[in-house]
Amino acid sequence: MLFSVLIYASEDFIDALTPEEHQEMMKKHGAFHEDTKTNKNFAAATKLMSTGTAVTINRDSDDFVVTDGPFAETKEQFMGFYLIDCPNLEEAIEKVKILPLDHGRIEIRPVEYFEGADFNNAERLVINAS
Amino acid sequence: MQSVWLSTHLRAARPRVLAALNRAFGDIDLAEDAFQEASLKALKSWQQDAVPNDPAAWLIVAGRNAGIDAFRKKSRETLSAPEDLEPVLEEANPEDELTRALDQSVYRDDILRLLFTCCHPVLRREQQIALSLKIVAGLSVDEIARAFLVQPKTMEQRITRAKKRIQAAKLPYEEPDAKARTERFSAVANAIYLVFNEGYSASQGPELIRGTLCEEAIRLARLLVRLYPEEPELRGLLALCLIQHSRQNARLNADGEAVTLEDQDRTTWDRKLIAEGNILLEAALRRANPGPFQIEAAIAATHTRSNSYEETDWNELEKLYRALEVIRPSPVVALNRIVVLAKMGGPQEALEQLKRLEAPLQRYASYYAVKGSFLAELGETELARQAFGRALDYSGTDAERRHVLKVLSKLDDTDLLPNSGKRP
Repeated sequence: MLFSVLIYASEDFIDALTPEEHQEMMKKHGAFHEDTKTNKNFAAATKLMSTGTAVTINRDSDDFVVTDGPFAETKEQFMGFYLIDCPNLEEAIEKVKILPLDHGRIEIRPVEYFEGADFNNAERLVINAS
Repeated sequence: MQSVWLSTHLRAARPRVLAALNRAFGDIDLAEDAFQEASLKALKSWQQDAVPNDPAAWLIVAGRNAGIDAFRKKSRETLSAPEDLEPVLEEANPEDELTRALDQSVYRDDILRLLFTCCHPVLRREQQIALSLKIVAGLSVDEIARAFLVQPKTMEQRITRAKKRIQAAKLPYEEPDAKARTERFSAVANAIYLVFNEGYSASQGPELIRGTLCEEAIRLARLLVRLYPEEPELRGLLALCLIQHSRQNARLNADGEAVTLEDQDRTTWDRKLIAEGNILLEAALRRANPGPFQIEAAIAATHTRSNSYEETDWNELEKLYRALEVIRPSPVVALNRIVVLAKMGGPQEALEQLKRLEAPLQRYASYYAVKGSFLAELGETELARQAFGRALDYSGTDAERRHVLKVLSKLDDTDLLPNSGKRP
């Protein structure tokens, strides 16, 4: 079964991390990558840019309305997600324990439908799995 | 949540908490002291229990209570505490209590007011930078002093004097109207850019601390963009900082010499920062309300779109510099536009145009370096050498000086060749 691993954290906090703390956090992500790739659980990894880059699109009768920023300001923002392939929830939970859990919040939610794509405009930021 | 990285939680919460305390007390010194007290309390209590879900709310309650105590002590002889400054009961859940206070609309304005207080127009540039770094970013006086190569005592005095000036200027507490808001945004954006530029241009001081200045400026800009995504100039400011910062590893070579845009290894530019800067700029420009930061970001972004200096889109740059000259005329902008014109139409005409900038830029190293490079291109090696000599006189940093010396030695080399003049 495919599980999404949804990561929430406070951007204020992430911005305030010292380089050492940031490295420590990324080390855990690295360990998660390594583990899930070695054991063939890895499906996808996505890290989102800051919410400052976001726009929100709505429909107002016949018009599309594009507003700046995310729809609602909350203390925690959605930072990114992984997709992992695990036989059951139990194993997904075990995998997620590798990730940095000291701050923010991680939600595991099963995937109902997933389709990948080829990319035209993503340049070097997207690494396609072979 | 585990009790880790406590000081990072404090750093992250600082702008928000200090802004709220500043509103509660109407006094920056009192707010800073209260924050200090609250932080000490937090370090003890968070170590024992856990970091609360909303550290900022927790700190505001603790800070308010500490501040009220101090206020009472101070005012026993003078006046009584304002009625609305009642301490919050410790037993009450501080997070519930303060959800209201942390309501988006309130803290947005609190932070804008705090930042604007720190870069109030009555303050001089260096005072604005020092106050923003001290109060909002929370750098220590020692750290700021080191960044500016002055004694901590001197920096302390600079900050104290700045605080006195803003107290004397009495910033009104009513809601700013649309025009005043725009002015505040512009002043705040300028101050953040000053901080960034102080780190970026590295006019002096150790590199490590300079890098910190850039990163603190970016952190403040990110905070503001998050609070005010609808302000295109703030997005423009962040875009500009990110794109400039993307070149940090290319701007100095292994020997610590400055490397100009022309000679930078573009593969070392940070593509993530460039991508973020470009999308921020695109989002900002959708508002069709351009300002100087958006245009400067667009100029920086134009460079990121060509793989080499030779492929630079000079036509686009010329348009952007022209727009910048209209919105915010300055001799430095004019100088940059002339450099672009030289790329398009050759150095002869550009050299002619340079004359009108001689007076306003007579102490500006880049002016002489540009003039020198035009002259060198025209084969006027001796005149070029003189111009670069002047550039040397006005260079502010070792890196800059070494770069000019290198150009000069190249000129000497080409001089020995027959038919010399063109720079290699």
